[in-house]
Amino acid sequence: VRTLLTGLLSLAAFLGLWKLATVVGGYPVYILPPPEAVAERGARALASGVLWDHASVTLGEIVLGFAAGAVAALAAGIALGKSVLIERVLSPYIVAAQAVPILALAPLLDIWFGGGLLARVVICGLIVFFPIAIATMVGIRAADPQLAEMLRSLGASPGQITALLEVPSALPVIFGGLRVGVTLAVIGAVVAEWAGASVGLGVLINIANQALFDTPLMFVALVTLAVIGLAFYGLVVLAERRLIRQ
Amino acid sequence: MNPRRALLGVAAALAVLALVVFVLPRLTSEPAASPRATPSNGELRDVTLLLGFRPDVQFAPFYVAQQEGFYADAGLEVTIEHRQAPDVLVLVADGDAEFGVADATDVMIARTSEIPVRYVSTLFGSFPVALIGPAGEVPTDPAALAGLRIGTPGRFGSSWHALLALLDAGGLTPEDVEIRAYPQFNQVDGLSNGDVDLITGFRNNEPLRLEARGIDVDLLTVDEVAPLPGPGVITGDELLASEPELVRAFADATARAQAAVIDDPDLGFAAAQVAVPTIAEDPETARAVLEATVALWGGEGFSGRIDLDLWERGYATMQELGLIDGSVPIGEMIAPEVLAPE
Repeated sequence: VRTLLTGLLSLAAFLGLWKLATVVGGYPVYILPPPEAVAERGARALASGVLWDHASVTLGEIVLGFAAGAVAALAAGIALGKSVLIERVLSPYIVAAQAVPILALAPLLDIWFGGGLLARVVICGLIVFFPIAIATMVGIRAADPQLAEMLRSLGASPGQITALLEVPSALPVIFGGLRVGVTLAVIGAVVAEWAGASVGLGVLINIANQALFDTPLMFVALVTLAVIGLAFYGLVVLAERRLIRQ
Repeated sequence: MNPRRALLGVAAALAVLALVVFVLPRLTSEPAASPRATPSNGELRDVTLLLGFRPDVQFAPFYVAQQEGFYADAGLEVTIEHRQAPDVLVLVADGDAEFGVADATDVMIARTSEIPVRYVSTLFGSFPVALIGPAGEVPTDPAALAGLRIGTPGRFGSSWHALLALLDAGGLTPEDVEIRAYPQFNQVDGLSNGDVDLITGFRNNEPLRLEARGIDVDLLTVDEVAPLPGPGVITGDELLASEPELVRAFADATARAQAAVIDDPDLGFAAAQVAVPTIAEDPETARAVLEATVALWGGEGFSGRIDLDLWERGYATMQELGLIDGSVPIGEMIAPEVLAPE
């Protein structure tokens, strides 16, 4: 109850400050719409079905992009953590790929991967990959070497050591990467849609901003993305609590 | 930490953040469109012009007006900045810049959305967007577009409006063709790669880029089937009401510089070379773009005046397409009196 109350108070304070900024700043609706204008526009977008049409597509991209990026990152992170040679060979490429602005590369990725859902999942997965892979590598490396030695002396194979010791002990760090990764998945889906898509919340932002000059609708899309990001983050935290408690 | 203190801390941080981000800039900035006396005694009035896209040879009239003294003769010191197209409209409406260049179709929609901007003079006498495809593969009858794959930046902007107008002229809707979006304006890559059959593009840009890749092209222009007014100079309602002479001076100086480029494209190209250093990397293409752009402006006798008949027909087209609802009359979208004949 206290957590819920704190959250509601925080939300009320945020909305109050937002409203205050529009009043004191004297912003017109097309520059900074007040919260009630965004709420009213959101209700209309929900009632017409427009918001769900776009949000459902983005949700699918986030889930698939996060899943693909996270699975690849976990595998890569384990390999990087266990093999110094693999780390030396692959790390420069992984870091360099992270340093390349995905916004510049996304239009080309869209063309290379055929411009459909696959292209958007790939772009989203690439954005998700880095923090999870690095967190996994760091977590695997942090496993207690004495416990590993003990398992080895009991005849455990490298795979068993990974499954029974390294991955479980790395879980808190891996979940740190997953928390970052899941919020990046939301950004990744929007970037992918900006590279080439006809539907999705990123497209709705473009339509609201560039076609309709409807700033409240743009804020509706942004708020929806924020809510989706919070929801997925909460799911990761829940999963973390369950897994790490066990 | 005590939860109550933590909450207070977060609220205080949010308050400071909101103050810094939203309120202080508003209180400390001076509205650009505030009434000021027209300068005299050689003092120039600073104004800002927002152009979309990026520095480019097609903006040669503005570079000529700056460099050859057209603006200075009108008492103006013009600073040119580049912004995304929607931001140009919003910033000009809000008085953050005095002038901008925008698509007429966007002005119609923005005005209908209660954004207080006015189109004051014409830059492009012809609507510059066309459907572009490999030579021999572009239908001349819009009805034959059915079933084709068409690449366009997205469901916004003049390219989308042109595509809707062309489809409508053929009795079609977007559902009758396969639309592929290229929001980063790289639809030329899609056509080169064979991912689409046709693309929307500006007649003074994409065809030249495709030809530079060895692809001969044909065009289906909007003008042939559904006339729409082209891009022009915009200003905010407030500035137009408070300083109509300033708006007239800017529009007139721009139109005279544009007429000078039409008469002597070399003048425009030389000014563009100064303003856009990257032209040195490919001067031939830049020169071709300038010549193609000049061809869209309106030829000899160019005055920059608003073509009221074209606006009326374009307004009807936009209404028919459902892009505007007709609640705002043309008279509130344009200011033909700015460059009215003497």
